[in-house]
Amino acid sequence: MKRPVRALAKGALGPADNDSRYLLDPHRRGLPNRDRMARYDLDAEVDLVIVGAGAGGSTLAQRLARRGWRIVVLESGPFWDPDRDWVSDEAGSHKIYWTAPRVIGGQDPVELGKNNSGHGVGGSMVHFAGYAPRFHPSDFRVFSEDGVGADWPITYDELRPHYERVEAELPVSGQDWPWGDPHRYPYNAHPVSGGAQQAMRGAHRLGIGMRVGPVAIPNGAFGNRPHCIYRGFCLQGCKVNAKASPLITHLPDAIEHGVEVRADSHAVRIEVDGRGRCAGVSYDAGGALRFQPAAAVAVCGYSIETPRLLLNSTSARWPNGLANDHDQVGRYIMVQGAPQVAGRFSERMHMYKAPPPEISSEHFYETDLSRGFARGFSIQTVGPQPIAWAEHVLADGHWGPALREYMRDYNHWFTLGALSELLPLAENRVTLADETDVHGMPVARMDYTQCDNDRANIAMAKQTLHDIWEAAGAQDVLTIDRYAHLVGGCRMGTAPESSVVDADHRAWGVDNLFIVDGSVMPTQGSANPALTVMALASRAADRLRAA
Amino acid sequence: MGGRQGTTPQGRGRYPDYDILENASHWDEVTREVVLSRVHDVPPIRFFDEAQARTLGAFCDMVLAQDREPRVPVLNMVDAKLAAGQLDGFRYADMPEDPETWKRVAAGLDEVAGGSFAALGHDERHAIVDRFSQGELEGGVWDELPCSRAFSVVMRAILAAFYSHPWVWNEIGYGGPRYPRGYQRLGVGAVEPDMAREVDAADPVRETSDRGSA
Repeated sequence: MKRPVRALAKGALGPADNDSRYLLDPHRRGLPNRDRMARYDLDAEVDLVIVGAGAGGSTLAQRLARRGWRIVVLESGPFWDPDRDWVSDEAGSHKIYWTAPRVIGGQDPVELGKNNSGHGVGGSMVHFAGYAPRFHPSDFRVFSEDGVGADWPITYDELRPHYERVEAELPVSGQDWPWGDPHRYPYNAHPVSGGAQQAMRGAHRLGIGMRVGPVAIPNGAFGNRPHCIYRGFCLQGCKVNAKASPLITHLPDAIEHGVEVRADSHAVRIEVDGRGRCAGVSYDAGGALRFQPAAAVAVCGYSIETPRLLLNSTSARWPNGLANDHDQVGRYIMVQGAPQVAGRFSERMHMYKAPPPEISSEHFYETDLSRGFARGFSIQTVGPQPIAWAEHVLADGHWGPALREYMRDYNHWFTLGALSELLPLAENRVTLADETDVHGMPVARMDYTQCDNDRANIAMAKQTLHDIWEAAGAQDVLTIDRYAHLVGGCRMGTAPESSVVDADHRAWGVDNLFIVDGSVMPTQGSANPALTVMALASRAADRLRAA
Repeated sequence: MGGRQGTTPQGRGRYPDYDILENASHWDEVTREVVLSRVHDVPPIRFFDEAQARTLGAFCDMVLAQDREPRVPVLNMVDAKLAAGQLDGFRYADMPEDPETWKRVAAGLDEVAGGSFAALGHDERHAIVDRFSQGELEGGVWDELPCSRAFSVVMRAILAAFYSHPWVWNEIGYGGPRYPRGYQRLGVGAVEPDMAREVDAADPVRETSDRGSA
């Protein structure tokens, strides 16, 4: 009975166990309850220290705070007030990205910074586009089904109730979803822009299914969060409070239930006691080194900072880094191949209007052996602002007068992107570089090299985007090769020799250390990871409570 | 060019009635301050020395086709970013830090020019930049500095500066900051009431030859 009732009540039912939407102010964007946030003393042990106030850490904090846990969240970056700190401008949004030094290597290095790394309370979801697709059931048994990658130690069915719960909390808008495990969304789909209409037309001519959504922006007001104004600046931080990020979807409720979010506090080491268990976390707060004792530690720093913190937390018991007896920390980091192809139309498209995430297709998501490679890709819209569009034009080989002319033609273009599932490889990894950052901590080095399966996947994805534009009647196309997202680096598994945490996110060999973020994912599908990171954190909270 | 409403680089552009700065009163205060400072507060060159600034200024003009006034002061904007130590969050393992890359590019361009890059004629400068863009510069500085990556490092900063400037938004008819006022017309060919008419929309299929080949 539950599903039909919900279908009738689209947009009317919010989550019963998360009041964040009512704890916001309808006219101001900052968190009203920040002024009355709990403060814990450094000389008293809290139940849990969480490192990182992003998708994983914030969701975990909200869940456990409601169970009465005393929690401190350490966040390296600032506590944002969107009214004061964010701008409706591309170049001015630099500070919401992780811009501290990192080294990239391998044969196919992955550019970081604004592309995939967030900084500050809310984490990377502050600048994520907003796509919130689920993983498919097949993603959890990639090795069994396709003989590549890895199996997860959990199944899709174990995660499904948490997908549903998080979709109601963000909340997610979209058409009924036919792919993977078919499901509905709590909010109806948004209206789409002209370019997205053209792309849908092209896809349908080729028999490629295309749906509107799924997007973590309610189509309507949601509690005290206003309706989206379609201004297109999702990647620069939503000044409207319309697009979901944990800053507005989970932290207001977490703070109301006693969580302290300690911003501008960069964790440098997890300290251990004589038996090798976690004792708490040392962090740098504006040049002062402090120590927060805790009964347990959850690292939620994402695929680069989580391994970096563990690798830097050496001790007599853990000479190679915490929970790193088997040289697994930092390995199997993944990105998605994310080529983009833009199409030109004689009408004006204004691709920067409306949220960049509009429509998507998972038609090519699953393995089809006739393609000659394992796994697949998804197709989505992207709406580059001028700087990102200029990078796209440059990547196609144009500078000088040609660049200027293509840029003058901006309003006539619209861009589609693919997300290709690249496989987890042991040598794609995070290590510590020789140089140190302002905190005196070694910076992370990320090496990345594609395998043949990856290259074949990206090539077909790119060709498919070209085909869609051709079918839609585009007059010209421009292409850029790039990457998107980050997952893996501390994967979950069934044995310490091949993973870092178990199915309950507990680090092998350290019973009070948990990793609850995108780094635990053994594979990545061709879905944007944010929703799955939150669903994993929601499930991890249940498991922690049960333990 | 006569009768153009808003300033555009070199007076080029397709939207003669459009001046994004007329919309500034609709922008939120924080955004307005950030964007208008790009027009009104041109920072002095502090990071580069005089010779580097001359070489790199000529390079920026070439890659952006800024061949006459009014020019967006791109090198000043890049210089301010480098002087402030603002980084982008990654460095290729085989590259120096971005600020050092910029200095080496300046030295490398002069080296290839056999003196001062800026003093060369247009065609010679164009030929050097073309080889730079193809990753084909060799010898001296370029034996130590991966050419293609260096091009991508400097272009990333140049494009970020140029396409953040409101004059350029006038040229390309971009809507600019949109908070608190958003967009309301989303369909094919739908134009907001405050956005200008377009003239001379070149059809890229028929007029590719006019674009030059880079």
